[in-house]
Amino acid sequence: MPTRTARSNGAPTPTRPMVGQTLAIARRILTEYVRQRRSLIFWAVFPALMLLLFGLMYRNNASLQASFDTTAAGILIGAALFFSCLGGTVSLIVAERERRTLRRLLVSPLRPAAYFLGLVLALSVIAFCQAVIVYALAYAMGARYHGSVWLGVLIVALSVFAYVGLGFCFGARFAKRAEDVNGPVAAFGVPLLVLAGTFFPVSLLPEFLLKLAFLDPVFHMNQALKGVAGRGAGWVEISTHLHFLVAFAAVALALGIRSYRRLLLEEKRA
Amino acid sequence: MNLVRFERIRKSFAGKLVLDDLSLSVDRGEVYGLLGPNGCGKSTAINVLCNLLDPDAGTVRIAGDAVSGDAKGLVGLCPQDIALYRDLYPGENLRFFAQVYGLSGSAQKRRVSELMELFGLERFGRMPVGSLSGGWQRRVHIAVALVHSPAILVLDEPTSAVDLEARHELWHLIDALKRTGTTILLTTHHLDEAEHLCSRIGIMKNGRIAKEGTVAELLAVVPAQAIALVETATEDAVLRRAEELGWGIRHYADKLGCLLPQQASLRAVVDALRDVDVSAVSVQRVSLEHAYLEVVQSATGATSHSGPVRDNDEASPLIRKEAGR
Repeated sequence: MPTRTARSNGAPTPTRPMVGQTLAIARRILTEYVRQRRSLIFWAVFPALMLLLFGLMYRNNASLQASFDTTAAGILIGAALFFSCLGGTVSLIVAERERRTLRRLLVSPLRPAAYFLGLVLALSVIAFCQAVIVYALAYAMGARYHGSVWLGVLIVALSVFAYVGLGFCFGARFAKRAEDVNGPVAAFGVPLLVLAGTFFPVSLLPEFLLKLAFLDPVFHMNQALKGVAGRGAGWVEISTHLHFLVAFAAVALALGIRSYRRLLLEEKRA
Repeated sequence: MNLVRFERIRKSFAGKLVLDDLSLSVDRGEVYGLLGPNGCGKSTAINVLCNLLDPDAGTVRIAGDAVSGDAKGLVGLCPQDIALYRDLYPGENLRFFAQVYGLSGSAQKRRVSELMELFGLERFGRMPVGSLSGGWQRRVHIAVALVHSPAILVLDEPTSAVDLEARHELWHLIDALKRTGTTILLTTHHLDEAEHLCSRIGIMKNGRIAKEGTVAELLAVVPAQAIALVETATEDAVLRRAEELGWGIRHYADKLGCLLPQQASLRAVVDALRDVDVSAVSVQRVSLEHAYLEVVQSATGATSHSGPVRDNDEASPLIRKEAGR
């Protein structure tokens, strides 16, 4: 068997600071998005239009304020973060494959966790901007944010984590080329959105689907944020959802790292 | 002094032996050219060096120590396909990879500006890499592989898919790197490139080094001082005449190569063949292409030094060149 030992040489021996690698990944992704612009514009316009549409639609059953109070959270989770964080992750992974940079990263000392966290960080910045846009528009329509802002930030952060983890799985398993990006997002992502009651009340779901919805991370993101933002719910009231999201964030991290390793393995075999 | 040593590396894929006790060494500061036909195991050898593949047997050592996962910073890989972030500026690509390799602060700044200067990239400071020409993208591509000051730079066909002018500019660049003492392992299908750049060359065939040496040592493999390329419709007559004159014969695509034991002028060759019906004759000095063919064909056991060369042999740049004329 070949010998396997660590070594050093005359050249500078770089350390592998996880934080530095994470920040490098995040900065690179954000710079690319800013230069491309198109994705950022779509990710701003789409949730804004969806918010107006659903806010006005639900006005039949409630006041304009109440309608937008309820709709804003669902739109942020389902129309904004879903596409930027889940769709965005799948696209980023495919792009990394297509431009062959994955191979370059493969021979580097980049840690899988740093890659995952770098994506989470970059997409969190985008998620924050989307949250500002969605709630600014909702505010303009008379809605108010009723609960703790920090609790809202925590839910959004956990949501980003979960979406990125799912995106890693979908991207690593099902998306080899740019044309493949929409497939897994539509096939697996959209059903999760629908099951989560993103665009309509979960009370419409039959009992067995409601039970199934409890396994859907998007359901817990929605219900937690709707509770906090729409009804002013506190930690205790949304604790079930939070526990699920925290657990799922850990699972997402594990899935992400595993998926990244799988990607690298495939790249090695290529 | 050896910086890199491949020690009897064996690697198989699905029962097919790709590296067969491959042994070679690269000295510190030299440019070592790894040549060979497609499928001879060059890429597999590079993947083993970069720790992308585990060998079935044998060891690759860099500066005496076995290559392992912890030694990723020792090799700077410049893959054949350009692998850069097209929306980022050249300096941003360099900074990104520097950070990935753990360089930060002033060390990172210094290294990035060194490379920007060495590769002449300052003037493209505010241009996305995707908007640069192929040749300039190649420069950034190589610079990125050097950002962490690796012990050895692996250039996998660095001038593929670039125009002639860009190719020569890249040669100058690799020459400049050679002068800075950078150790380079280079693979290429352009034999003139290997002849120009490499201190030593290893020609691979069937997963091992079939012949290794300096350009001069490899040229000595061809039993001739010069080669007369002859186009004729009466091959038998030329073969008979060559035999009378004591010339060896090789087939290079659709031409006969007469191995001249001494340097000879075109007039002398034409005179020697005056009784034979030939449509064109040229005299060439023995080049690395001839030596390469000599080694590759004899290593397969398929050369008949006068036997026909397969038309689809991608390992024969000479043949491609001749056919293209």
